[in-house]
Amino acid sequence: MDMTLNAFTLYILTGLQLGSIFVLIALGLTLIFGTLGVVNFAHGALYLIAIYLAVSINNALGFGLALILVPPILFVFGVLMERGLIQRFYDREHTDQILVTFGLAIVLQELLKWVFGANNIPFAIPSWGNGILMLHDYLPFLEGFVVYPKWRLILVVVSIVTVAAVFALLHLTRFGLVIRAGMRDAEMMQFLGVNINRRFMIVFGLGSMIAGIAGVFGGPVTQVSPEVGMHLLVPSFLVVVIGGMGSLGGAVIAGILIGMAQSFTAPYINLNTVIIYLITVVILLVRPRGLLGAKGVFE
Amino acid sequence: MTDVKSEKSSHTASGWSRRSVLKATSAGAVGAAATPLFYTQNAWAEDAIGNYPVKGSEVVLGFNVPQTGAYADEGADELRAYKLAVKHLNNGGGMLDTLKPSKLTGNGILGKKVTYVTGDTQTNADASRTSARRMIERDKVIMVTGGSSSGIAIAQQYLCNELGIIFMCGLTHSNDTTGKDKQRYGFRHFFNAHMTGKALSPVLSKEYGKDRRAFHLTADYSWGHTQQQSMQEFTEKEGWSTEGNIMTPLKTTDFSQYLSQVLNSDADVLVLNHYGANMVNSLTNAVNFGMRDMQKNGKNLEIVVPLYSRLMAKGAGSTNIDGVLGTSGWNWALEDEGSKVFVKTFTDEYGFPPSQAAHTCYVQTLLYANACEMAGTFYPPEVIKALEDFKFTGAGNGDTLYRGADHQCIKDILVMQGNSPSARTSDFDYLKIVDQVDAKTVDYDPAIFGGELGPYVPA
Amino acid sequence: MHNQQSFWQLNKAVVLFALVALTMPLWFPLINGYSGLDTKIMIFCIFLVGFDILLGFTGYLSFGHAAFFGIAAYSTGLMLKNFSDNIIPAIIVAVIAATLVAIVIGLLTLKRTGIYFSILTLAFAEMFHSMAMAMLQTWTGGENGLTGMPTPMLFDIKMQGSAVFYFTAIMAIILFYVAKRIERSPVGLMMKAIKCNQTRLEYTGINARKYKLLAFVISAMYAAVAGALMVVYEPFVGHEFLGWHQSGEVVIMSVIGGVGTLVGPMIGAAFMLYFENVLSVDLGEQWLLVLGLIFMFVVIFMPGGFMEAVDRIKKRFITTADSE
Repeated sequence: MDMTLNAFTLYILTGLQLGSIFVLIALGLTLIFGTLGVVNFAHGALYLIAIYLAVSINNALGFGLALILVPPILFVFGVLMERGLIQRFYDREHTDQILVTFGLAIVLQELLKWVFGANNIPFAIPSWGNGILMLHDYLPFLEGFVVYPKWRLILVVVSIVTVAAVFALLHLTRFGLVIRAGMRDAEMMQFLGVNINRRFMIVFGLGSMIAGIAGVFGGPVTQVSPEVGMHLLVPSFLVVVIGGMGSLGGAVIAGILIGMAQSFTAPYINLNTVIIYLITVVILLVRPRGLLGAKGVFE
Repeated sequence: MTDVKSEKSSHTASGWSRRSVLKATSAGAVGAAATPLFYTQNAWAEDAIGNYPVKGSEVVLGFNVPQTGAYADEGADELRAYKLAVKHLNNGGGMLDTLKPSKLTGNGILGKKVTYVTGDTQTNADASRTSARRMIERDKVIMVTGGSSSGIAIAQQYLCNELGIIFMCGLTHSNDTTGKDKQRYGFRHFFNAHMTGKALSPVLSKEYGKDRRAFHLTADYSWGHTQQQSMQEFTEKEGWSTEGNIMTPLKTTDFSQYLSQVLNSDADVLVLNHYGANMVNSLTNAVNFGMRDMQKNGKNLEIVVPLYSRLMAKGAGSTNIDGVLGTSGWNWALEDEGSKVFVKTFTDEYGFPPSQAAHTCYVQTLLYANACEMAGTFYPPEVIKALEDFKFTGAGNGDTLYRGADHQCIKDILVMQGNSPSARTSDFDYLKIVDQVDAKTVDYDPAIFGGELGPYVPA
Repeated sequence: MHNQQSFWQLNKAVVLFALVALTMPLWFPLINGYSGLDTKIMIFCIFLVGFDILLGFTGYLSFGHAAFFGIAAYSTGLMLKNFSDNIIPAIIVAVIAATLVAIVIGLLTLKRTGIYFSILTLAFAEMFHSMAMAMLQTWTGGENGLTGMPTPMLFDIKMQGSAVFYFTAIMAIILFYVAKRIERSPVGLMMKAIKCNQTRLEYTGINARKYKLLAFVISAMYAAVAGALMVVYEPFVGHEFLGWHQSGEVVIMSVIGGVGTLVGPMIGAAFMLYFENVLSVDLGEQWLLVLGLIFMFVVIFMPGGFMEAVDRIKKRFITTADSE
């Protein structure tokens, strides 16, 4: 491959932004995994709800309100889902968790299809984020004319901010301390008189809310049709597992890794289609619990 | 002797033809019990093929359309058209008044009332075949039609050919359907990728000039490949050069990694050989990458979408498709008699104008019915012969030939352009007609794609 | 006398299954079934019985069994197309091919447990799927599927209609019997011990890995027979055979039927196929929504699937009978 600096920059940026969506979706997924021990196949469907809400609110009331409303609505939805369904499954087998959430994913997808139709709903980028950025104006090592869509770069920034916020929450607050302790040993926390159940509910809500944030910013990129949730399900699962179940840092690294791999293999279709699975296989064979997975989790 | 008894006794007998066994195993509950067994209108009656002879006073058609999955909306429109076709076949009206030559009476087909069964292809080849089998084996359909992608059409066409049931393709645009995978029992009214290339390229060179460098992004499956080859072949004939082509996996939802390649090349035209969700995403992504407002080689960078559909245009949004050129098989804005009466009856029935998928499905149903009337029988080999090289007019698209050599309709093709948001007056005119390319211009030698139709009587 | 009784007790399930299966062409149309579907149900019974040897016995949840099903289907198709229209060599080659792949994948993936095992199998299967769609599409037909095979023959018998149904039904009965035998054998007990407590099993000095691999390969062989029969039933191979939806469908069928019961997964398969192809027609466009609701209902209220429901009814029946 004859790789100029221009091309390389484009590859890197594309890898970053492809990875950003994976990270945003995998982040909520791995948070729920790590804390509650629940395999949530409906996470893609949460993202689906988010993009349909976001596009509807965006088209009716503007992007600002979508940004303000969608994540809290998703938080509430997540809490309701945890109370109504998920908490019955804490002690059940993973196969049961997978199946019930997969069933829920189908139900949500088909309901949305019923209401909005199977066809794509165009989700326009808000005017302030539309257009392209002249990279050559900022990066002196680039020659000539190198551009990139502004919105994609905003998406990368949103991912970074979200990841930082989640890390801060888990590592700098008391709430986070309890949650992390609960991830290690939920029973012990119960003995110590901590109401871990209520906190688990909040964590599920948070995971769902991250899907909401992903939906608001990712919607204009993934677009809005009922298939989107299922399309993202497998890759975001792979990201979580490659990163190590329940490891936030792992999910971030794995997401970027998958994004980069897809970007750099783009010209080679045969490699491009299998690369994500190839990476999964190699990493899991070399590192039994993924990149940063903890021992004993989901084994 | 009643029907049911005879079928049951045939079940235990060995040495019966496979079809009678098939029928026997699934007969019974279907309620054909009261109808007389004998049907000897024609000399061919003794050799049963598929569900011929048709028993009773009704004839059943099978409408197999996507009801779930990405093409569900297109499938819903196809089903509307089929229901309308059945209504017209039984009661007259619609294109029955404009199709010429026509032996359709408005009194069913060959005096039998037309009924139908529906099924879901799920846009999954295996599921579509299982669904088609249900129609054929349980519901005793004489013809199957429908579908919204080439893989599905080809899968069903093989099945129907094997079982002696005529398959009238719905929306399928791959050269293979009437090319290397053509079958004696399969017929396509819709146009194909080759014809798109032929029709579109001259318009492209007229609009964008002869000195252009094209970059193709191509969905990595049979339809995408044939579309890309045809576009490359005919744009190069116009003097364009081809800078590159990247195959994109069918499952792709984000095309940035491929678009980065395009940005990095010297191309000044981007050809998106994508359909459905692929096209919506790649076009939207390309617009986000600023490609509609970019200049390359001192020219405006242009995007081309060889195959357009209304639903895709709507899905991508009018800001994104504004000015983008492509082709369609038919559009409700056409002014010929057939199109007008179809649009009117469809709109009266459902409240909005039909899509090109609806049009091709409606016409296919009428053409099949008319062929039966012309043959004077449902006996498939005779119906096939009636369809082969049938010349007709009054079904939209001007004078049309159902070519016998490959079962491909040769007809006019529309070059379409995306309407700008301000020019758009309703939810249904996302596209406007730029040119109606004559059937003679898009005609081609059927031999170039190979394939064989096979015998009239299936083995 | 004693021997006869024990034969009946040991093989009650097999005899009942044989009766139900072989009479299917008679009763299936009465509930709106049709002959293409009964054959497909038999094929999936084979797939599901084999899958239960892995999931039900050892507890290992594979998300990649579509790989063996699909590889066998493509092998059968290519054999029929290029070698001979006789199905016997085609099926043999298909099963051997899938078995070899299964041994390799099994050796690699069975080092991992839990979700990591599931995802590894998924990744392998998706790799094959992607290869069939892209790299190998000259052989597999890619999106269009593999077509153009001759009518499959069992020596002089055309494998169509009733012939193909009875052929698959007899295969299903034999393979169900084999699975029952495995279940009762010492090997079967070892496999079940893995599910209960693998660590303890290993402390007793037993090589658990050997039995895990055996269960994995046997289940893959069942999947391969099913995949090969799909092509005998209809000379067509769709790329969907290799996709994760296919693997997922098998898991769903197992769970709603009742994991670990051998019979349950077959009921699950029959139910799913019947629902998808017969009941769905009456439900129209929203059939998938209803199916999703049914999954959820079964998993929430009947954790043991349909078999648990059957057990509950049996128990209630017995207790009421006792009280009378």
